[in-house]
Amino acid sequence: MLSAMPRRYELLPVVLAVVALGGCERRQLCNAPDCGTLVDAAIGEPGTLLPASTEEITARDVEEQLFLKLADVGMSMNTIGDEDFQPLLAQKWEWDGPLTLVFHIDPRARWHDGQPVTAVDVAFTYDAYSDSTVASPYRAQLKRLASVTARDSLTAVFRFRERYPEMFYDAVYHMRVLPAHLLRSVPREQWKTAAFGRQPVGDGPYRFVSWQAGQAIELRSDTTFFLGRPGIRRLIWRFTPDLGVAVTQLVADQVDVREQLVTPTMIDRVRTAPQVKLYPFAGNTYTCLAFNLRANGDTSKANPIFGDRELRRALTMAVDRASLVKSTLGDIGKVPPGPMSSLLWIWDPEIRQLPYDTAQAARILNARGWRDHDGDGVRDRDGQPLAFRILVPSTSVLRRQYAQLLQEQYRVIGVHVEIDALDPGALQQRISSGRFDSAILSRSNDPSPSSGITQTWTRGGIGGSNYTRYSSPEFDRLVDRAIAAASRDQARQLWRAAMETINADAPAIFLYSLDNVAGIHRRVADVQIRPDSWAALLRTWRIPPDQQIDRDRVER
Amino acid sequence: MTFGSWLALVVAIVLSAEVVRWLRHRALRHERWRRFFRHPTAAWGCGILTFLIIVAIAAPLVAPLDPIVQPDPVRLKNHAPSLTFLMGTDVFSRDVWSRFAYGARVSLGIGALGALIAVSLGSCVGAVAGYYRRWVDAILMRGVDIGLALPRIFIVLMAVALWDRLSFAWLTLVIGLTSWFATSRLVRAEVLALRERDFVVAARALGVPSSRVIFGHVLPNAAAPIIVSAALSVGNVLLLEASLSFLGIGVAPPRPSWGNMIADGAVTIYTAPWTTLFAGLAISLVVMSLNAVADGLRDALDPRQDPA
Amino acid sequence: MTAWLLRRLAASVAIIFAVVTFVFILIHLAPGDPCIVGTGEGVPDPAVCRSLIRQFALDQPVLVQYWRYLVELAHGNLGYSFALHRPVWDALVDTMPFTLQLAGAALLIDFGLGLALGIYQAWRLNRLPDVVLGNVTLFVYSLPTFWLGLILLLLFGEKLRLFPVGGASDPVLCPLVDSFYCLADRIWHMVLPAVTLGLVGAAGTARFQRAAMLEVAQQDFVRTARAKGLPERRVVLHHQLRNALLSVITRFGLTLPFLLTGAVLVETIFAWPGMGRLTVDAILRRDYAIVTAAALIASSLVVAGSLIADLLLGFADPRIRVHEDAVVDIVTA
Repeated sequence: MLSAMPRRYELLPVVLAVVALGGCERRQLCNAPDCGTLVDAAIGEPGTLLPASTEEITARDVEEQLFLKLADVGMSMNTIGDEDFQPLLAQKWEWDGPLTLVFHIDPRARWHDGQPVTAVDVAFTYDAYSDSTVASPYRAQLKRLASVTARDSLTAVFRFRERYPEMFYDAVYHMRVLPAHLLRSVPREQWKTAAFGRQPVGDGPYRFVSWQAGQAIELRSDTTFFLGRPGIRRLIWRFTPDLGVAVTQLVADQVDVREQLVTPTMIDRVRTAPQVKLYPFAGNTYTCLAFNLRANGDTSKANPIFGDRELRRALTMAVDRASLVKSTLGDIGKVPPGPMSSLLWIWDPEIRQLPYDTAQAARILNARGWRDHDGDGVRDRDGQPLAFRILVPSTSVLRRQYAQLLQEQYRVIGVHVEIDALDPGALQQRISSGRFDSAILSRSNDPSPSSGITQTWTRGGIGGSNYTRYSSPEFDRLVDRAIAAASRDQARQLWRAAMETINADAPAIFLYSLDNVAGIHRRVADVQIRPDSWAALLRTWRIPPDQQIDRDRVER
Repeated sequence: MTFGSWLALVVAIVLSAEVVRWLRHRALRHERWRRFFRHPTAAWGCGILTFLIIVAIAAPLVAPLDPIVQPDPVRLKNHAPSLTFLMGTDVFSRDVWSRFAYGARVSLGIGALGALIAVSLGSCVGAVAGYYRRWVDAILMRGVDIGLALPRIFIVLMAVALWDRLSFAWLTLVIGLTSWFATSRLVRAEVLALRERDFVVAARALGVPSSRVIFGHVLPNAAAPIIVSAALSVGNVLLLEASLSFLGIGVAPPRPSWGNMIADGAVTIYTAPWTTLFAGLAISLVVMSLNAVADGLRDALDPRQDPA
Repeated sequence: MTAWLLRRLAASVAIIFAVVTFVFILIHLAPGDPCIVGTGEGVPDPAVCRSLIRQFALDQPVLVQYWRYLVELAHGNLGYSFALHRPVWDALVDTMPFTLQLAGAALLIDFGLGLALGIYQAWRLNRLPDVVLGNVTLFVYSLPTFWLGLILLLLFGEKLRLFPVGGASDPVLCPLVDSFYCLADRIWHMVLPAVTLGLVGAAGTARFQRAAMLEVAQQDFVRTARAKGLPERRVVLHHQLRNALLSVITRFGLTLPFLLTGAVLVETIFAWPGMGRLTVDAILRRDYAIVTAAALIASSLVVAGSLIADLLLGFADPRIRVHEDAVVDIVTA
C-alpha cells in the first residue's frame, strides 16, 4: 500500500500541467503585436489612487498611467521656459501677455467612461489642488498661480501672479487633470476617502481594471488612446512587504520590474538572474536625518537640544557620512552636498559642507556644557542627558540600518540615541504634527530645485513639508533670488550660496543620495526611464512578439 | 576570538557537562529523580540550559568584543563564521558570538523574570479562587476567561504600540502580566482537590488563618504542576519576546536579544544567514530543553508513579 | 444539556463583550490626538479635522463614544478605517477568507500529520522509530514559528526555488487562466505558509496523541483486550486509538484560535493578505477601528473554539480523561 503512494505523487504535477495547458488552449491566446504583461514588484500598498491626495511612490507610478498632465518635461529634464516640454493632454499652448498662458486641449482626449476631456476639468483640477481642505501635498508649488479658468470647452487659461523662468513648469508638472463630472459631487473633506480613489476613471494610456487588496493593482492598455496605442497590454503592480521579497521575486522570474534595487547586495543578487537586465539611472531622492528645531509636541517653543545651532553643527560633524555611505551603498550612493539628489543640476561637490571632525564636535559639546558629569557614558547638562530619538519607517531596510549606524556613531561621542521604527503612516503623522526629535526622511526631487527645496526647507513650507521648521531669512532670500534668476549661471551661484547657508545651519544631516539601478526583464524592449519618474514613459515600452513568454500571451 | 574567550568557552562546556554528571550522580539515590533522568533528553536539556546560563552570566568572559560596538562597518560587515568570528559578523560588523552571549542574558532574563511574574501571579489567583470558591472563584475565573479570550500577542502588541517603545522592565512586566491565565486555571483545579484533603480540613478546623493555610499547606502540595508549568512558561515568554522583537517592537536596539538578532539578520538572510540561524537555533534549543526538563519533572513529580 | 448550552452561550457573549470593552478602554487611555491618529498621509486642515471629529463623535466623552460604538455594532457596523480609506467590514471581508484558508490548511497538516505520527509512535513504542520521532517532534515543537518560516523561505523559496516567496496567488496568470489552474496556483502559494504554521502544531499533536494513547493503554479495558490475546495491531488501532481520539477532539477545538494568532507572524513573513497582517499593520499604524474589530473577531474565535471543545468533551466518554497538564500544554502553547 505504501509503495503505491510515491507513484501517484509523481503523476500529480503532470496531471496539473496537462489540465492547466488544456485550460490555456481552450482560450484564445494573444497574438496581437501589443501582447505583453509587465509585472512590477511594488513595495507597500497605496491608500488611494486619487492624484491630488497622494505622495506615495507606488500610487504616483500607477497614476502616471491613468491620468495625464497637460504637458510633461522631456528627457532633457529642462524645466526652464517651455521649449523642451512634450505635449500630452494639451495639443498646443501659447502665451497671451507675460502672465497668461493658454492651453488648447486635444479634442481627441476622452475619459475612460467615454466623456470628452474639457477645459472645465482643468479648471476643476486647479481648484481641487489648491483647496486647503483637500490639503494636497502639491499645493505649495501652485502658489504663484492666480487662477485657472475655462475660456471654452477646449481652452484653459492660466494666470500667474508674477513672471519667472519656471512658470510653464509649475503650470503643467504638478497637476494631473481630474474628471470634474465624477469628482464634483465628492465633498472636499472626504476627498481622501472617496470611492473614486479605489476605482479611478482616468484619461491616460491605461485603464484601471482591478485592485485586489493586499495583492495587486491591474491596468490594461487603452487601445484607443489618442496619443497612440501603448506597447504593452497589461500592467500589474504586485505588492510586496519589503525590498528583500521584491528582489527575490525578480530573481525568481515572478515579476518583470523592480525600479530601485537600492543596495549593492540587492544588485549583486539580481546579477545572478540571467533573465534580468540592469538599467542604471540618475537618482531623484536624498535622505537626511532631520532635526525638529521646535520642541517635541509643542511648536511654540524651541527644541532644548536642536534649537541650538552650535549643537546641531556638532552633531553633524560627529557623523562620518562617507563611511556610512560606503558601508551601506558602496559605489551607488554619494554624500549629497546639501538637500538635493544627484538628479538636480545644482549638484556640485564644491559646495561647502561641515567636515567630519569628532574632535571639533567634542570640543563644541564640551564648550556648550554638555559633559559626562555622572560618568555613565552619556553627556549631560543640568542633570539632563544629551539624548534623543530617531524615527525611521519600519518598511525601509536601508534607513533602519542607517539608524543603527548613527546610534553607534553618537554613542562614541557620548550622545544617547534611541530608535523608533514606525509604520510609514504613523511616522508621517508624528513628523507632520511636530511630535518627534529627529527622523530619517527621504525626499524625492522634482527635476527642478525650485519646488522641492522651497517646500521642504523654507519658511513657506512650515505647516507643509518643512518638518524641521527650519526658518532662515537669509536662506529664503537666496532661494527666492535663485528661482527668479534670469540665467542658469547666475542661478547656480545663488543656489550654491543658499546650500552653503543651510549646510552651516545644519537643520538636518544630508546622509546619502542614491543612484538608481532598475532591474527589468530582458525581453522588454525600448525601455526608456526618465529619472524623475521611471514609469512616465512606460507606454513606449514593448515586448517583441518573438520574445514573449507565457505570462504575455494569456488572454482575459 | 581571543585566547581568553576560547578558554572561557571550553570551561563553560566542561562545567555544564560536569554539572549534569553531578546531578545524575545525585539522582541515583532517589527514585523520583532517577525517573527524571529516565529519558536522555532530560539530561541533554539540563546540559544545554546550564551551558547557556553560564554563557549568559559569564558573557564578559566568553565574548571577545563589546556586543554593541561596530568595529568597522565598511570592511568587517557580513563576515562568514571563522576562527576569529566564531559565528561571523552582522551587517554592522558586530561580532555575532558576542551578541549571542550578551543576548542570552537579555533573552533568558526576560524569560525567567516574565515566567516568575506569571507563575507567582497565576498561582496566587488560582489558589485564592480554588480555596474560597463561590463568588471569589466566579469573578476571578471569569477574568481569566477574558484574559484567555484575547490572544496574548495581541494584548502585548497593543500595549507596546500604544505607549511607543516600552523599556526593558515594562516589557518584562507586560509579558509577565499577560501570561498567567493558564497557570491560574491549573492551580485552581489542583487547589479545589487539595482543600478537601484531611490536612487542609484539619488546619482550617484548628482556626489557622486562611492565608497561612493557602501559603503554608495548600500551595506547597500543589508544587508539582506549578513547577512544570513554570518550566514551560519560561519557554513561552522567551518565544513571545522573540516574536515581539522580530516585529520590531521588543527589546530596543542596540541591546542584543536573540529575538532582535533574528530581526536584524532577517534582512540579510540571503547573503549572511548566520546571524539569524544561530539566534533562532538558540531559542529552539532553550525551548526544547525546557520542554524536555518539564517532561522529566512531570515524570519525577507524578505521585502515581511513586512506588507504593 | 440545553440549559447548560444556553448558559455557556450567554457566558461566551459576555466574555466577548468584556474583551471589546477592555480593548476600547485601552485604546482611549492611550496618548494621541484623535484627529491626527489614523488619517494617513499629510496633515489635515484644521477645518477638516474638526469635521472629522464631529462626524465620528471623537469629541464626546469616552462613555458616549463607547455607547455609540455599541449601538453601531448592534447594527452590524464595525466602523471606518481612516488609514485604509474604507469601511472596516470591507477590509475584513477581503482578508478573512485568506486567513481561514491558511488556518484550514495548517489545521489539516497539524492533525493529519500529527495524529499519524502519534499513532505510529505509540504502535512502535520505545523502539527506534518512536525514539527518533520523539526527539524530532520535541525539537520541531520548540521552534519559533517565524524563524521556521524564514528558514523555509530561504531554503525552498530562494535557494531551491520550489515555491513562491510570498503572496497568495499569481496575479498574472491566475485570474485569466481557468479556475483549475488558479486552484493549483493557490495551493502552490499556500504550501510554505501552511507548513510553517502547521508543522509546529503537528509536532505538538503527535506528542499529545502519543501521550493520550499511552494513557489509554494503562486502562483496564485495553489490558483486558491484550490479555484476551488479541493481536497487538488490533489492540492499538481499535481499542487504544478509538478512545484516545476522543481526547484529541478537545485539542482540536483549542488549537483553532492558536492557529489564527500564529497566523499573525506567518502572514507577515509570507506577505499573505490575511487578517493577521491586517491586524499587525493596523496596530502599528494605530488604526483603532480595525484593531477593535480584530479583537472582536479573535476573541469570538477563541470563545467558539473552547465552546466546541467543551461540547465535544461533554459527548466524550467520561471514563476517558487525559490528565490535566497535557491540556494546559496546549493552552499555553
